[in-house]
Amino acid sequence: MQIPGRTNIAVAENGDAWVRAFRCTACGTAAEVPTIACRKCHARGTMEEFRAGDSGKLVTWSIVHRSYPGVPVPFVSAVVRLDDGISIKGNLNGVSHEDLRAGMPVRLVMNDAGGAKDKEGNDFVAYHFTAATVDA
Amino acid sequence: MSEAYIIGADMIAFGRYPDKTPAQLGGEAALMALDDAGLTIDDVEVFYTGSSFTAGASMSQQIMREIGQTGIPCVNVSNACASGATAVREAFIAIKSGMYDIALAVGTEMNPRGMLGGGPSSGLTPEGIFGSGSMPAVFAECGMVHAGKYGTTMEQFAKIAVKNRKHGALNPKAKYQTEASLEEILASDLIAYPLTKLMCSANVDGAAAVVIVSEKKAKELGLGRAVRIAGSGLASDPWEANNPELFDPNSVTRMAVAKAYEMAGMGPEDLDIVELHDCFATAEMLHYENLGLCAEGEAARLIEGGEVMLGGRLPVNVSGGLIAKGHPIGATGVANIVEIVEHLRGEAGKRQVEGARIGLAHVLGFGTSSAVHILQKA
Repeated sequence: MQIPGRTNIAVAENGDAWVRAFRCTACGTAAEVPTIACRKCHARGTMEEFRAGDSGKLVTWSIVHRSYPGVPVPFVSAVVRLDDGISIKGNLNGVSHEDLRAGMPVRLVMNDAGGAKDKEGNDFVAYHFTAATVDA
Repeated sequence: MSEAYIIGADMIAFGRYPDKTPAQLGGEAALMALDDAGLTIDDVEVFYTGSSFTAGASMSQQIMREIGQTGIPCVNVSNACASGATAVREAFIAIKSGMYDIALAVGTEMNPRGMLGGGPSSGLTPEGIFGSGSMPAVFAECGMVHAGKYGTTMEQFAKIAVKNRKHGALNPKAKYQTEASLEEILASDLIAYPLTKLMCSANVDGAAAVVIVSEKKAKELGLGRAVRIAGSGLASDPWEANNPELFDPNSVTRMAVAKAYEMAGMGPEDLDIVELHDCFATAEMLHYENLGLCAEGEAARLIEGGEVMLGGRLPVNVSGGLIAKGHPIGATGVANIVEIVEHLRGEAGKRQVEGARIGLAHVLGFGTSSAVHILQKA
């Protein structure tokens, strides 16, 4: 079975997976988690879930050379603003370091979390980013 | 409302104390500050302690078991890297309220070893899959926003570490008391581009304390070495489009400093010395602009021009900052204030900022809080 590797991921029975996002029906502000009230306009119970699209822009990044034990380095840690109005963090793959630019178009790609499984042997679903022009 | 004065301030040397407890470190600092004030624990009416990793352990009470249990109200403050400064602010508010004449504020911490932030979790470990949650990576990403906007370079970030190491070499209580060249800093291990190891704060244990008294008590004890808390600001992160996925150290600092300037009736042009939260070299660059020490986009010019060096127009982090002096989380915000007090008293030795009369101390807590205090020679 495939299971979400993070609470902002949804996995359908047929294996279709996507990033969950939420939008305030009062002011239109999007958030990456469901909150009791809108963080921006403070209206209550207005955060409606939607399926985030895959296109966005790179806000900032760092090339991580030292991480915690067992985590392969280097990798690019990226903050991406999706066109839907939420910001999420993930690895940015397949872009050479000298080509990284704030504002560059990127695409959200669902993946198998490097083959990671939970204790029961279920497959985790995760995501990463690539340059918008590159195939996953 | 009464004015509030710091009449005792001191800190232990920052470093590693494997044979001690956080309460012992805090107790030592508390006694040093009380001695400095010419008071004893029996005089203290209310006691605040800031710590982060021992937040649930009633540190004030534990410290009183080390230095004397008098039954006074104890309040334990946890606000990440702003814990110590928040404890000072609470003590300041207690004095301003008129309920107390003598308050003690301590910050104490024994940091875990290794890199802070983002460690293992249950389920799928996010690190390296969903980017990085390590503190160096988070502050590298913040720095890269500045780099993207203004073209700030890795060398310019590194020059902040050169400056702070140069300052730390003059501070007998700093973890690193040796200078490091630009080449050494750039050649040290790359942690998270553009940050190398020597551009990260030193991971240490430490404690610092201040005694804050009412105007009435300060006059009774003598104003000679007293320092007035002219302004205090504390803020939490407001809504920002990319926050919290993109950590935002900027708007929270701007809100806190605006409050502090307003309360003091002062602005950045009035400052003679600044201690700000250089948890990473990238952070110091951002805070030059956040605290209004220069115009937007001019931060790199401040470090390039030497204005923020000891002897420059507005020396910043003369203590060596978190990069050289060290960053024991809950103690840091009190130690910054102790440093400013020493300069305003003219007791800072080799690193004295000559003629300093007004200083600003700033901290930033991840998650997110910022505290700013403006201090003035009485």
